[in-house]
Amino acid sequence: MTLAPGPLQALLLAGPGYMPERASSVAAGVDHVFGFIFWVSAVSLALIVAVTLVFVFRYRARASRQVPEASPDHSTRLELTWSGIPLLLVMVMFALSTKVYLEMTSTPPGQAATQVKVTARKWSWWFDHADGKGAKSLHVVLGKPVELVLGSVDVVHSLYVPQFRLKQDAVPGRYTRMFFTPVMAGTFPILCTEYCGTNHSQMLADVVVHEDQASYDAWAAEGRSPALSLVDQGRKLFDEKGCSACHSEDGSAGIGPTVKGLWGKSEKLVGGGTATVDENYVRESIVAPARRIVAGYDDLMPPIPLEERDMLAVIAYLQSLKEKP
Amino acid sequence: MSAVEHGAGAGGGSYLTSERGLRSWLLTVDHKRIGVMYLGVIVGTLILGGVFALALRLHLWNPAGGLVSNDTYNKLFTLHGAVMVFLFVIPGIPSALGNFVLPLQVGAKDVAFPRVNLLSFYLYLAGAVLFLVTLVVGGLDTGWTLYPPYSLEGSRGLGILIALVGVFLAGFSSILTGVNFIATIHKLRPPDMGWFDLPLFLWALYATAIIQILATPVLGITAALGFMERIFHLGIFMPEYGGDPVLFQHFFWFYSHPAVYIMILPAMGIVSEVVSVFSRKPIFGYRFIAMSSLAIAVIGFLVWGHHMFVSGQSRWANVIFSFLTMLVAIPSAIKVFNWLATMYKGVIILKTPMLYVLSFFAIFGVGGLTGLFLGALATDIPLHDTYFVVAHFHFVMVGAVMIAFLAGVHYWWPKMTGRMYDERLGTISAVLVFLGFNLTFIPQFLSGIGGMPRRYATYAAEFTTQNRVSTVGAFVLTAGLVIALYGLLASLGRSGRRAPANPWGAASLEWSAAASPPSHHNFDTPPRGVRPYDFSVLRKVSEEAGWVNAGGEAP
Repeated sequence: MTLAPGPLQALLLAGPGYMPERASSVAAGVDHVFGFIFWVSAVSLALIVAVTLVFVFRYRARASRQVPEASPDHSTRLELTWSGIPLLLVMVMFALSTKVYLEMTSTPPGQAATQVKVTARKWSWWFDHADGKGAKSLHVVLGKPVELVLGSVDVVHSLYVPQFRLKQDAVPGRYTRMFFTPVMAGTFPILCTEYCGTNHSQMLADVVVHEDQASYDAWAAEGRSPALSLVDQGRKLFDEKGCSACHSEDGSAGIGPTVKGLWGKSEKLVGGGTATVDENYVRESIVAPARRIVAGYDDLMPPIPLEERDMLAVIAYLQSLKEKP
Repeated sequence: MSAVEHGAGAGGGSYLTSERGLRSWLLTVDHKRIGVMYLGVIVGTLILGGVFALALRLHLWNPAGGLVSNDTYNKLFTLHGAVMVFLFVIPGIPSALGNFVLPLQVGAKDVAFPRVNLLSFYLYLAGAVLFLVTLVVGGLDTGWTLYPPYSLEGSRGLGILIALVGVFLAGFSSILTGVNFIATIHKLRPPDMGWFDLPLFLWALYATAIIQILATPVLGITAALGFMERIFHLGIFMPEYGGDPVLFQHFFWFYSHPAVYIMILPAMGIVSEVVSVFSRKPIFGYRFIAMSSLAIAVIGFLVWGHHMFVSGQSRWANVIFSFLTMLVAIPSAIKVFNWLATMYKGVIILKTPMLYVLSFFAIFGVGGLTGLFLGALATDIPLHDTYFVVAHFHFVMVGAVMIAFLAGVHYWWPKMTGRMYDERLGTISAVLVFLGFNLTFIPQFLSGIGGMPRRYATYAAEFTTQNRVSTVGAFVLTAGLVIALYGLLASLGRSGRRAPANPWGAASLEWSAAASPPSHHNFDTPPRGVRPYDFSVLRKVSEEAGWVNAGGEAP
């Protein structure tokens, strides 16, 4: 994003002078917006303070000044001017900032993001990477877009990476998303920014940005645990919990919709409306199936309480059945 | 207050001496006595919240903390926030100063419902006592925002339930005060006092009262739902019972954002009064200031979602809330420009209330402008829940509101007590409060930009310098506040100078038509409406005797 030619741009970025490194693709855009608001604010504040000081000095009460001079007690033209100029400025701020915000909350067009499932708990983070590797730190590859799907097993937490200029709450009972593309290799801190109790300030993790895929693969291969991958756990649960009795895995008709190729589809609902089959819809359909039923089916399924970890596994399994484009 | 007894105005005794004994205070329905009682309790809560704040700042001297455990730190910031917000900043100006001043400015004997007014005081007191009880039963560590699931977890003790009842009661106190103010302004004005003859403090209280009546019930409902969720597991806020924690955030901010305007609007009202009186000029753009109060009250209801930009709320909801938030900046800007224009070509008298108001301009300027960073989505995402937010809302809620409160207390002190505070001490306090405040909170902006989250009992070593400067600032600020309190209280002693009816040369009715302190019934004869910013009808007799109406005698 470019707002202004070279020198002015440098000034915009230099404004606050206190920013962490810019390690994500949106960080520079955020800092431009920050710089713009900063300089508009700085000039406004300087004007307010300067006018205050000048008036106090010139018009302070003293022996030679006992009676105010005549001056108007209102002026509609002046009032409209000093309403209009700030209005214009804040609208520019709104437009610039919203443009950057939309980039901050989506994957760059035409690129596929690697998904990592994040589980927050008091007081640690857990990252299930797309290739099945689970870890206490987040590992990503330089220049490759990432989509985080965040959940929490207990209270609200928030994942914050100052160098990415990004933050997203992890809310129990639903999934939230966060998008970024790292543009600087290295290790950056992940902080919790939603108050969560005793060790809130020590709920720390790292995000490691690998130089290239090879470096990431080397990390992913080391010490891989022999336990089942999340998808395999999900496949097992799908059978054990009896899901497969009504939901076929091969596309054949059943009492409920088949899960083959279900992920990402837009389904018509009983009573009108549609739902996209994503993490939140699947979650809701498991814990409260009656809320949004796919058209053509009956309200027969009982709610099935699942542990957070199991929920994530079933979701990962359904995701793995997505039809390849 | 024994020395005040002799300072009675005309009519055989002031409201302070018309009745005697503790009972005559505790059961009074006189708005002035209720206002004074509020002032006493509210200053007590400010001291309590301030002690918590100093403990927090001392703990943060080192990155690893060390003064107290993490759990104790969490309880301290929770009670600091809850006491300051619910017991000091929200009721501070309307309940203490508003109660005392509003009927006087409107030319009435009392508020419309005096008994309801006393009920409101005791509800507030009960709420305050319950907050203290939570301390006794082990404290509360939920943050003042009380977000579930954390706040309603099954393992929690009684503290949260008591706090929710406390919030509920304090909320009702606020609602009843709002009802009283609206009824009084509508019905008890002199027949010849039109809406645009109201002092701007009344417009501000009127806009505040509208918010109190419309928003506070939502807080009460939320507290009641939280209470029931904790006991009966209804499934409203807690995911484990099928509820939604984000719903609580919506409810909470639907009240708590307008509550910011419950705090700041009366503060702006005080600034409008003081800047005009101490510039000896009519307020510039009366109608724009009055209408901007109403605009803030209305738009203020539509911006709560900006507290939830990273909560998982939809992107387009975020964009709409961001847009509305940017709009609410405009009426505040209008007010600032009008205040500055009021000083133009005036005669600026640098007494304590005016010094506080001048520092309000700079501090409210910073508070308002830094709000733009948080209303704009791109910059809010990184800054949300960091020290930038802490600094921003302290500039608005502590800086602007508390400084306006101090301006108001000094301004109306002669009317309330019949005594003049010491001008030299007042000046020193105003300067120290300004310096201490900036020293405390400007470094917190830097910590926030650098990425230090709020509510952290321990922090990264790179933020040590900012935290230490902030701690030093907190003590300078405290010194300023202690001097202000001493200066005010000392005036009640034998050496305190008697206040004339109108020491500042103000034209509104509490100064131009009532004694200092006023009699029990406020006015000996029902006053006629006046133009509240027309100072040409006043004449200064002397510093000691104050100002009189040019046409006639002092009241």
